[in-house]
Amino acid sequence: MLDDKEVRRLLLRTAARDEGSAEAFERLYRSCAPLLLGVARRIVGRRELAEEVLHDGYCAIWRTAESFDALAAQPVAWMVAIVRNRAIDVRASHDVSRVDSYHDAPDDDPEGALDRLFDWSPDEGDNEDRRRASKWLRDCLGKLKAAERQALVLAYEHGLSHGDLAAHLRKPLGTVKTWVRRGMANLRECVEACMVGPR
Amino acid sequence: MRIGNGTKLDALCGEYVLGTLRGAARRRFERALREEPRVALQLRYWQALFAPRYSKMIELQPSPQGWRRLERELGLARHRAPWHRRAAFWRAWAAAATAALAFGIGFQLLRPAPEVTPLLEIAQLTGKVDVSRVTARLSRDGRTLELSAARAVLAGPAQSYELWLLPAEGGAPVSLAVLGSLDARFALPPGQVGRLRTGAKLAVSVEPAGGSPTGAPTGAVILVGEITA
Repeated sequence: MLDDKEVRRLLLRTAARDEGSAEAFERLYRSCAPLLLGVARRIVGRRELAEEVLHDGYCAIWRTAESFDALAAQPVAWMVAIVRNRAIDVRASHDVSRVDSYHDAPDDDPEGALDRLFDWSPDEGDNEDRRRASKWLRDCLGKLKAAERQALVLAYEHGLSHGDLAAHLRKPLGTVKTWVRRGMANLRECVEACMVGPR
Repeated sequence: MRIGNGTKLDALCGEYVLGTLRGAARRRFERALREEPRVALQLRYWQALFAPRYSKMIELQPSPQGWRRLERELGLARHRAPWHRRAAFWRAWAAAATAALAFGIGFQLLRPAPEVTPLLEIAQLTGKVDVSRVTARLSRDGRTLELSAARAVLAGPAQSYELWLLPAEGGAPVSLAVLGSLDARFALPPGQVGRLRTGAKLAVSVEPAGGSPTGAPTGAVILVGEITA
């Protein structure tokens, strides 16, 4: 995996559509495809569907690289968002939830999942802002009510819809929607409190 | 269409980042994202706030056909730098050239000095790329040709340079020599003596080691120059 600075450079080079754009794009593929395939696989469940999502995702990255925001703090996150959105669409259209979505049974240990799924340790390439933001997010996720945290982690990791969440958690749809909405609002409030509070 | 302000917009951004915004609601949001700057601004705020970095543990190696399929479907060949402009090529070339040069110098020391014959400059060979200017000199008797490069240029282990004569009267290029270095002195093929005249051209192409397998240039022509004397 390359650092953010290099990924940003490669995305801008890809967008330039000149000689050498293909090489830049190939490096983006070689370095980031394993991560993006992992992300897709957690959402669509099946390996072959995940490979399709990866393919479509990279086609979209190639086509829309020009709209990549060079000021975006995290260029990898930009690519992750493209692949996640595509995976979520594929998941919905293949009705994965009914086929074999839980082939990787969604975690009922969201606290553990948080640390298995994500890497919270500071990265060499991170600047101070990024390090702090990452720490705040982890702390604030830890402070959420367990049900809210579980709903957020499941939704993010497996691309579950409100309906999927309700089915999986065996709770009414309205309850699950409230968990998600309050979870995100509480998360934001907590991170903002960290921003202004003492470090 | 405008989507709600404040809390409502905030909630929509949060759910979009999380992935729970679906169907018509998501399409409305994405349209607003393109049309209303404040939506994009608010989303960027959320993206910065909620951007956990995935662990390497989740990585999976894609199938080997994946890249080739992308390359084909997107027509990426159009966007590739030609071989001589690629940094990787030049890095490999530099390593090979250094090794060859070291070997060559050792070898030169063992060889008797070639006899000196007066030579006249007949052409300057140049390329679109700044490869190296090469001067061609012909002996008075027209039988020996010498090339000297402004900077040493040596072929990689898997390639040779081939020098071609493009006759003044037209017609197919004629191979004059297969070279490992653009610094060389050699006897012209007897049939070509006297054909290096004003108006004809000399060209150098990159060929597989041992020279063109077809008898005509197959690789990139890196240098060309008109004979002026």
